[in-house]
Amino acid sequence: MFQNFRLTMAWLHTWFGLVLGFVLMVVFFFGSLSVFDREIDRWAIPESRFAPQPMPSFDRVLQPVFEAMTKPDAANIEAARERVNGPMADSFPVVNSWGAYTTHRDPVLSVFTSFVLPNAKQADDLVWGSLTIDPRDGRPLPQDHLKIGSQFFYPLHYSLNLHWKNLGTWIVGFAALIMLVALVSGVVMHRKIFRELFTFRPKKHTQRSALDLHNLTGVVALPFHFIFALSGLVIFGGIYFPVTHTQLEPLHELHEQHEAMATGLPAQRAGQPATLASVDAMVAEAQRRWAAKGMAGEVGFLNVQHVGDANAYVSVYRAGTDRVTLTGEGMHFKGSSGELIRVDPPVTVVAGINNFLTGLHLQHFRHWLLRWLYVLGGLSGCVCIATGFIFFVEKRKRQHAKQGLSGARWVDALAVTTVTGMLIATMAVLIANRLLPGDLPARGDWEQYGFWGAWLLAFFHALWRTAPVSEGRIAPAWGEQCWAVAALAITAVLMNWASTGDHLLSTLGRAYWPVAGVDVALLASAALAVLAARRLGRRAHLAISSPSAEAAHA
Amino acid sequence: MRDPLILLAALAASVAGLGWLSLAMEVHWQQVCGPRPATQATVLGLRLLGAASLLGSLGLCLQVDHVSMASLVWVMTLAGAALLIAFTLSWQPLWLALLLARRPGRTGAG
Repeated sequence: MFQNFRLTMAWLHTWFGLVLGFVLMVVFFFGSLSVFDREIDRWAIPESRFAPQPMPSFDRVLQPVFEAMTKPDAANIEAARERVNGPMADSFPVVNSWGAYTTHRDPVLSVFTSFVLPNAKQADDLVWGSLTIDPRDGRPLPQDHLKIGSQFFYPLHYSLNLHWKNLGTWIVGFAALIMLVALVSGVVMHRKIFRELFTFRPKKHTQRSALDLHNLTGVVALPFHFIFALSGLVIFGGIYFPVTHTQLEPLHELHEQHEAMATGLPAQRAGQPATLASVDAMVAEAQRRWAAKGMAGEVGFLNVQHVGDANAYVSVYRAGTDRVTLTGEGMHFKGSSGELIRVDPPVTVVAGINNFLTGLHLQHFRHWLLRWLYVLGGLSGCVCIATGFIFFVEKRKRQHAKQGLSGARWVDALAVTTVTGMLIATMAVLIANRLLPGDLPARGDWEQYGFWGAWLLAFFHALWRTAPVSEGRIAPAWGEQCWAVAALAITAVLMNWASTGDHLLSTLGRAYWPVAGVDVALLASAALAVLAARRLGRRAHLAISSPSAEAAHA
Repeated sequence: MRDPLILLAALAASVAGLGWLSLAMEVHWQQVCGPRPATQATVLGLRLLGAASLLGSLGLCLQVDHVSMASLVWVMTLAGAALLIAFTLSWQPLWLALLLARRPGRTGAG
């Protein structure tokens, strides 16, 4: 259908890149923000602005918290209604597990409890309860305050927050697959990868400089883009290929039984009640053994399985802050006696590769430089996609204008929406977070409405103000939304100051980086947006005063 | 305090290494040093220097972190350094004269 391979690749790259580019833009941008999700959480929840804490004492702090958790979350109970025979039970007496999870960046601690679902259609079905607590005293934090970083931006990155039948995760997965295709086809099209590696000519006409920047940001971060698209797919492999619970279900069940026999960790409850020995002593023993292996470290994840039963066991995992790969070095203890039952063996090669790719993507490590370099990689991906849109529009707009087509205008409007509109929505959720009263019921939901509402407004504005594109000119929407981004970013910083008193001089003075960093990033975005808006203004002015000059460029 | 300094040195070595490699390319050499092309020997020298500097950067990364982490940090410093060099060549190409131990000044082709 095409004369040669390169033209085929060009067609593939252009059209698949265009359609999935809108999704990938969201994935890249919110992925970049997710690198600092915990820090954004601190900005959004002022009550949690204190130093990161290690895993607290289980016996003194956590056990009372878990014992007070007698019910799953209301939303989870609601979601479980269709999974039970008859009406939903009022009480959930059998506790399957208690878990606590923290990282080196978390001041607050997430704790969760799984309850056996009474009258469940499927045996072993569970329903979860969760809490966020202050690990210093076990006091729970308000549950309806949205952790904007880890509960909104982060899921947006991998699921677009479209949870119905995992639709968002499937769209993102497909986009990641196309991303790999776009990278390969882009390399085939490019021809001069090494000769033009450092080439960016901002003074040439827009179409050429956009292509330069597209190539530059695509090529220099190529390994990053490739490995992140790939590892993202690996992480969700279980969703994309759910073979263990479809074709291989009986095998899966059998494997579970074999595993329980091989590891000595009981898969089922014994049905005999038993008390729990000191978990702090088990943690101390695990830490002693890690230190003996030369891997001294803090506890990242603590789990008690089959709570209250004679078969209870406690698993202690290390927080993997010094390796890329996910390495928990798990130790498992018998709950009733505290004796060590099992130490996780070294992983197999395949599991090792899986853990490495997952760890590389999820970044539990402690390495601030690498974190910033990830942000740089992610944002360069955003620039690559955005310049791809601009190139698409620039290449076609004059011809479309002549032929009376509106294709270029529509693409430009969607590009404005996904580039500057997304920034406006991001600033809007931060402002909503500082503006809404603290005791507003379902406050977190309102913050999210603010986000989507602002994005929708940006879309309508983009549709309206891209009209000149259909005459082959620059859309004013870009510049106007840049001004909006700048104004909103500065407003967010001021609102943080006004509502919490943590202005930049104070946070910088105390070296409280989570909040200072978000504020500085907001101000930097504002500065960049102003710069971009002014340049766009100059260009538009130039084009109006001498339309022939602009045409001559092209 | 030692680790951040070594990482900073690794970053600098990546930037310098890619800077030298870019100067080994005729078009960028001319942006920095004027229209007269570099001699074969200079080009070879720049390439060797660039490669050695990148290797040095990897070595420095390995001083700080476990090998898996260090290689990741190194690859990412290359991406950052390439962007920095490309933007320098776009806006202030003469600054790269510093890598040739010359004072940035007017050399003709800006």
